[in-house]
Amino acid sequence: MKQEDSTILTKYGKNPGFKVPENYFEDFNKRMTEMLPEVEITPVDVKPTMWQRVRPLVYLAAMFAGVWCMMSVFSHFSGATNNGVGAVAEKLTDDKENVDEFIMSGSVSDYDIISYEDSVIMSNEDEVTDAND
Amino acid sequence: MLAFFLLSLHAQSKTCMAAREKYDEALVVAQLHDPNLSKAAFGKVIEHYSSQLYWQIRRMVIDHDDANDVLQNTFLKAWTNIDNFRGDAKLSTWLYKIAINESITFVNKKKVMNQLSIDDDESFLVNQLESDEWFDGDQAQLNLQKAIASLPEKQRLVFNLRYYDEMKYDEMSEILGTSEGALKASYHHAVKKIEQFLGETE
Repeated sequence: MKQEDSTILTKYGKNPGFKVPENYFEDFNKRMTEMLPEVEITPVDVKPTMWQRVRPLVYLAAMFAGVWCMMSVFSHFSGATNNGVGAVAEKLTDDKENVDEFIMSGSVSDYDIISYEDSVIMSNEDEVTDAND
Repeated sequence: MLAFFLLSLHAQSKTCMAAREKYDEALVVAQLHDPNLSKAAFGKVIEHYSSQLYWQIRRMVIDHDDANDVLQNTFLKAWTNIDNFRGDAKLSTWLYKIAINESITFVNKKKVMNQLSIDDDESFLVNQLESDEWFDGDQAQLNLQKAIASLPEKQRLVFNLRYYDEMKYDEMSEILGTSEGALKASYHHAVKKIEQFLGETE
């Protein structure tokens, strides 16, 4: 359409040059409503369409979906450190079985275990010394 | 940010509700069939459609007083037949149909009064425009109106609906009961004829 009537549109525009008296439409609407004759109206239940019936539910669902998405985005960015490697490691080391499995799998050498035991003993001794002081 | 999101959602729903309160077509159609609310509902219909129907009619009958009469007849006809409107089609489509039929009937009656054949074009309507107090267009706009008036009835209708109202072909098809392909062809022919008419008058 735009291409076809572009010559007319460019030259003449869309204003047909007609005008109406001032407040014509306001006056007309008032006059027309007042002059409506009495007619017999048969009451009819206009059945709402499927879309009209489900529309509020769809809007509600969309709203909750939007809120859920926002919450997911927030928790993804703000809780990254808590939900990261640190949190997983913390969870795994809480479980004794996981620690034993880790040791059994050979990832920890005897030297590591002895060093760990030494450090535990030393820290216990420090605590006892502090208590005596 | 979540608070902002919820606030904007709330504001948006409030705006939507305000717009719906202003004119809700589904609600108005339901009220039109309620004997206690029908008259008030039709008042809303008049308020909502009077302007767009007026301009469509005006472009067909040209004269303001004639357009006023035809618009009045359109709403009277719609109101007296409101029981037949069951909401199967859009209210706007139904009103446009009535307005177009009323305009064509009016123009044909006027032709008879001016002792013209029904097949004659509507140029006689435009010829009095220059002296009309409700026309403030220049010579170019007058020429365009003359060119449109020289078109066959169907092409004139299609051109007015498409060019001025920018109506989609599928909606136009519902109103005029013609296929979209035929409407596109009508519009194409109308544009060519107008360009030719204007080329000759310049």
